[in-house]
Amino acid sequence: MGAVTYPDAKVAEFVNNKMIPIRLLSDAQPYAKDFNIKWTPSIITLDESGTEHHRVVGFLPPEEFIPTMMLGIAKVNFDLDRFKEALADLEKIIAKYPKSKATPEAIYLRGVSGYKSTHDPKTLKAAYEKLHAEYPDSEWAARALPYRLLP
Amino acid sequence: MAEIKWEKEMDAALARAKTEKKPILLDFFNPH
Repeated sequence: MGAVTYPDAKVAEFVNNKMIPIRLLSDAQPYAKDFNIKWTPSIITLDESGTEHHRVVGFLPPEEFIPTMMLGIAKVNFDLDRFKEALADLEKIIAKYPKSKATPEAIYLRGVSGYKSTHDPKTLKAAYEKLHAEYPDSEWAARALPYRLLP
Repeated sequence: MAEIKWEKEMDAALARAKTEKKPILLDFFNPH
């Protein structure tokens, strides 16, 4: 990460503008124990109070790093019931990074966020239909399968 | 050259996160 991804200009700009970055050694205590670190890199998204919402273990190339971190930010907002903000984050991932490995999950979470904020099941069915049509082999298409039965 | 401005102390990162209302990117790494 330190040799390839973090020096990337777009990655650095994104991180400096959108997140508070902190790097710790993999044996830095008490944090390594608190976060149960077993392998590196472990890249974790925390909310403002330090609670974990998203984790990636292993290398991310620059083109995957930004949409993956955007998904982490969306999950922070989703978990804290900030659905309007989560939806805005997810829309950006889906529109700007259609080939990212993070995008199928973003589509799924957009459907759930839409349902949680409107109680309209059409958002869930729309998530299934987009996943089935565009990402049929993703695990998120499988997870959305029950939504095909919704009206 | 682009450079990420890493914090090195968790307390400092948490304080900035609250002030700037941003999530934290926490990277555990092994330099070896």
